[in-house]
Amino acid sequence: MEHALVVWLRHTALSGLVTGSPWVWPVLETLHFLGLSLLIGTIGAFDLRLLGMAKGLPPKPLSRLIPWGIAGFALNVVTGVLFFVGEPANYVNNIAFYCKMTFVALAGLNVLVFYLTVAKKVDALGPGDDAPYGAKLIAATSLLLWIGVMAAGRLLTFYHGHGLGQIIE
Amino acid sequence: MEYLVWLEATGLSTWLRESVSLLAFPFVLVMHTVGMGFLAGANAAIDLRILGVAAGVPLRPMERFFPVMWIAFAVNAVSGVLLLIAYPAKALTNPLFYVKLLLIGLAIGTARLLRKRVFRDPGLDLGRVSKRGRVLAGVSLLLWTGVIMAGRFLAYTYTYLTAAEAVASK
Repeated sequence: MEHALVVWLRHTALSGLVTGSPWVWPVLETLHFLGLSLLIGTIGAFDLRLLGMAKGLPPKPLSRLIPWGIAGFALNVVTGVLFFVGEPANYVNNIAFYCKMTFVALAGLNVLVFYLTVAKKVDALGPGDDAPYGAKLIAATSLLLWIGVMAAGRLLTFYHGHGLGQIIE
Repeated sequence: MEYLVWLEATGLSTWLRESVSLLAFPFVLVMHTVGMGFLAGANAAIDLRILGVAAGVPLRPMERFFPVMWIAFAVNAVSGVLLLIAYPAKALTNPLFYVKLLLIGLAIGTARLLRKRVFRDPGLDLGRVSKRGRVLAGVSLLLWTGVIMAGRFLAYTYTYLTAAEAVASK
């Protein structure tokens, strides 16, 4: 049984563009992995600081690296949408895909909680200051959720809608 | 090639390749990806700061992120060897695999040089980074981009998936 969305998407010009040349997909994947690295490198560094690593770093200026993480995330939204449009059948029945999207949404919610609760206190921290307990909890949650996003993203290729497939990398 | 056929027939290689357990090939691949995120990510954060992004961040304490890189590198060395054991011919018969190894060697060497030239520089506490340090940071970003690109393309450019297949084709 074909999903109506799958049929429609597969007939779009954009879908043809993504799957038309064998080089488009690996190039998009490379960009997706670069975006991931920027996100983990900047947001992960901020989370690790709140958890007590590299405490000599004041969090407020460190947060100026975060726009690069957001840019990485934006790159991944764009490349991710292109993957979905290119091969929608690989995603619509894929449990790993829904896990990944749930983790991304929770990570976004976690950012919102950070800004609504401890952001001001964290901004006021100087070099060597210990972050409040709530900020540490949010930072640990953030790290776990992004690791979950990476894990689910990587496992996507093993599901493709029919349980565990023999998909090689 | 006989050696690769032997390696491929070992219990570990067979289990990694053929087990339907998520703990076999999928888990190793997940570790390799998460390790990459932290390894390339920590490098990128340090490189960007050296290049002048978030200039208000004191650079000296960022040295504490080097252990994150080494741990992530260890995770990726181990998971990488396991991926190689699972499909030895797939990587070893692809020239791009050697390009990736070379780029990793250069990128790790650059990270070590950065630590020595930038973080051991007494001028660092005055907020100065030498031109050489900035060049190294730029080179580091390019090298990790190359490593990631080579890694991704490895999945699409191999000639033989298994050694048995390579022998059969001759």
